[in-house]
Amino acid sequence: MAAGLAALNNRFGQALRAWAKRRQGIDPPDVELQTRRIYILPTRAGMIFAVIAFVMMLGAMNYNNNLGFALTFLLAAVGIVSIHHCHHNLALLRVSALGAEPVFAGETWQFRFRLQNQRPDTRWQIRLNWDGDSHDACVDLDAANHVVVELPLDSPGRGLHAVPRLRVATCYPLGLFASWSWLNLDLNGLAYPRPAARADGLAAGDPARDGLDATGEDDYAGMRQWRPGDSPRRIAWKALARTGQKLVHEYRGGAGAPVWIDWDSEPDGDDERRIARLTRRVLDATATGTDFGLRVPGVIVPPDQGMEQRHRCLRALALLHTTSAAAP
Amino acid sequence: MTAPLDHERRIEATTGSAGQLLWLIAALGVAVVPHVPHVAPWIPLLIVLISAWRLQAARRRRPLPSAWVRVPLAVVGFAGVFITYRQITGVDAGSALLMVMAAMKLLETRGHRDRAVVVFLCFFLLFAAFLREQALWGPVYLFSGVLFVNTALLQVSRQRDAIAAGPAFATAGRLLLQAAPLAILLFLLFPRVPGPFWALPQRGAQAKAGLAESMSPGDITELALSDAAAFRVRFDGEPPAPSQLYWRGPVLSDFDGRNWRMRDFSFFPSLQEKVNRNGELVSYEVTLEPHGRRWLLALETPVFWDAPKAVATAPYQLVRFRPVEQRTTYWARSTLTGSTPGWMTDRGRQADTRLPAGSNPRSMAWATKARAAAASDQDYLASILQMFRDEPFFYSLTPALLGAQSVDDFVFNTREGFCGHYASAFVVLARAAGIPARVVTGYQGGELNPLANHLTVRQADAHAWAEVWLGEHWVRYDPTAAVAPERIQWGIDRAINSGSLAGAEQLRRGLLGSGLYMSWDALNAAWNRWVLGFGPDSQTQLLRWTGIAKPTLRHLVVGLATGMSLFLALFASWQYLRGRRGLDPLARAYRELCARTARAARARQPAEGPEEYATAVAGLRPELQADLKSLFGAYARLRYDGAASDQRVARFAAAVRRFRPARRPASQPA
Repeated sequence: MAAGLAALNNRFGQALRAWAKRRQGIDPPDVELQTRRIYILPTRAGMIFAVIAFVMMLGAMNYNNNLGFALTFLLAAVGIVSIHHCHHNLALLRVSALGAEPVFAGETWQFRFRLQNQRPDTRWQIRLNWDGDSHDACVDLDAANHVVVELPLDSPGRGLHAVPRLRVATCYPLGLFASWSWLNLDLNGLAYPRPAARADGLAAGDPARDGLDATGEDDYAGMRQWRPGDSPRRIAWKALARTGQKLVHEYRGGAGAPVWIDWDSEPDGDDERRIARLTRRVLDATATGTDFGLRVPGVIVPPDQGMEQRHRCLRALALLHTTSAAAP
Repeated sequence: MTAPLDHERRIEATTGSAGQLLWLIAALGVAVVPHVPHVAPWIPLLIVLISAWRLQAARRRRPLPSAWVRVPLAVVGFAGVFITYRQITGVDAGSALLMVMAAMKLLETRGHRDRAVVVFLCFFLLFAAFLREQALWGPVYLFSGVLFVNTALLQVSRQRDAIAAGPAFATAGRLLLQAAPLAILLFLLFPRVPGPFWALPQRGAQAKAGLAESMSPGDITELALSDAAAFRVRFDGEPPAPSQLYWRGPVLSDFDGRNWRMRDFSFFPSLQEKVNRNGELVSYEVTLEPHGRRWLLALETPVFWDAPKAVATAPYQLVRFRPVEQRTTYWARSTLTGSTPGWMTDRGRQADTRLPAGSNPRSMAWATKARAAAASDQDYLASILQMFRDEPFFYSLTPALLGAQSVDDFVFNTREGFCGHYASAFVVLARAAGIPARVVTGYQGGELNPLANHLTVRQADAHAWAEVWLGEHWVRYDPTAAVAPERIQWGIDRAINSGSLAGAEQLRRGLLGSGLYMSWDALNAAWNRWVLGFGPDSQTQLLRWTGIAKPTLRHLVVGLATGMSLFLALFASWQYLRGRRGLDPLARAYRELCARTARAARARQPAEGPEEYATAVAGLRPELQADLKSLFGAYARLRYDGAASDQRVARFAAAVRRFRPARRPASQPA
């Protein structure tokens, strides 16, 4: 019975969601909340408040108590006026989605949003949360100001994931009413694959591992400008002290060729475990500062180094064989 | 496994937000204060102790007590209320119960919901305070109490911690002020269904003090003088002399030898027309305090009255269809001839001369002898008054208890008593001589307040006199006037020894001279008349003022609906306009910049950021590139780098005003 009811509720909720989405369409990343898309309903506290006002009115009638009536009517009027304040607190708020930095699968994205208040009054208690998610972010937004809030979202697994719809809500002023607006943002979070533990799969005699080692410190190739992601071990500290410029030593592998992190060089196994090991190698390669490239089925990332290369490779690994890869 | 987890959660609950907790306790304090003098002292003490402990727990990060502590504590608390009051209904026990509940709830304030429950209990406590008393400070307390409790609600409904007191009070205050017109509208026009729906709990004997349906003077050894107002009167012209102010109440016609009782409320519609109208009509308005009975008070003898559904009964007593459970205002006109209309049949004569057989033999004997000696009924009645005046009779509020033959004992033995004794003896002696007579109770006199031109009649002004049928009318005889003429001339205050008055009464008398008391009383009268006395009748009157000849419930409902919609529409549009006009100067300047740029090239897409837009427009109008870049860049810096001082925004706005790009050249393809 209860389960049936819950299912019915769920289906009703889905229908409602679909209706709201049809009604609004996909939102651009920068939205001003127009009044027609702001919903408002009493909260549980609001309903208790209404019951209290009604009981008080019965009491006032029973005792013919005019101050009792005055109290009842004042509370009722405050309740009614607070509907407007609650709605007004959200109306014409500007929400801009700023996206989130990629994380490793299982970690938590920090989606950033800029909330912009163009009114000369504070907007209190603006609350952001994802549909069906317990994380939230709650801010008071000063008059004529903007604030950037971070809303966490747990990443489900590697890949590019579309975010659930965003709820921008407020219970201000008295918590008797909740007004909210749904934002169907075209916003994705990228989750890199989870790297394998350091030792995992990097057995002795692994050719790639040997190759990496062979890149060795033997072939000194000169110095170049420091780039983010370069290992601190390679920074030319003396040069830095002397010239103030951050330079790094560069080496060439024995073969003079970049390291290839190759799908086929991995021992067979489960695809996901392979991807995890490749991810680990990308991280290690980035840390050592060598040039490296990635070869996986369908994608070849040409050799380079630094943080951008790391991102390109991890991204390729994240999207490998995933159906949820909405867009490259 | 769950125990330590629960422990941690309880610690977290105490430390959750000390600011919100403080607000909660403050609101509870404000709601409890008016109850403190009325409830058992252990209850406020309990609240203080629990609040102090709770605050300390929050500060010291101690866990909230577990259910093992809370449940027994709650049981003890509720049992305490029951033991103290022997009941759980009624204002005292009810408010005590609410307070104990609030204190218990403080011990388990974990989340929003628990805190909101405490706030809601505070609302009920405010309400209960008005059940106790509706004095003039009521609205002040109403407003400040609601302000305080609402501010607490605002604070506890916040996600994290409380905000500063200033903005919180300002917000709640603004809300309250905006709600006030709506509340007044509801107060005036919301249809009032007259109660009570359930039995009103007794609130002590004091509420019923004053007049009653029966009187037995022999059983009273001390008449308590209650200072409470019975009703207030506003005269249209000059008020009559105090000795003429007989306020007619219950008429007691049946005597069993000791006790006088009222007969049934049979009424006679044409009686009103038989009033002797020789005298001048006095017009006045009475605001009657609720007394729970059906009778109304009017100056003897009322001729017209506008009290709804009120009629004159056979003994010419004004009664209403429903008991007076609410302060009621009505208007009446009276003549002051000292007589009331009536008619006499044989059966009526029998009833109105009936005395219990064999009672008060000495009085009977005296009556027979005196009637024989007198020339007429009038002479005989005069001789009774003569006796009261010449023999050593005394006026006393602390008379001796009378024996079985109460009238004999009074007339020939104790010879001290108050109005009831004299009226009772007079009527018995009249009946003994075969003259129809009855006791009339009511009030005599009243305290005139020259500021408001109104008269306050107190319970202490209660009086009893006699009425005798002399052929055409019932004629008033006041035997008390024969004994203590100053009682009638100057009111009860002069008639009694001031040494026996209670402290509060003496204070009142002391203030009387200074005029301070008078203006306070005048204010109180207006308060009672216009605010506390407001009810269905006043609503009808209000609708009449607006020109509706025959007001009905429909008019009220339509009026209320119209008023509320109008108010809400005005409020919403005011808020909307304020929101629009209130755009900050930077946003206004940017809007202007976009408008000017749109005229030069194309409008900005809603989702287009300033720099994107500038780049896109520069592509269309390359000659504007430098201007666009500097202006849109300036906007982006001001808006997003958080460096928007007023001065810089003003400079930006000025720059926007100087930006006057040529319109899109016609030759250029759009």
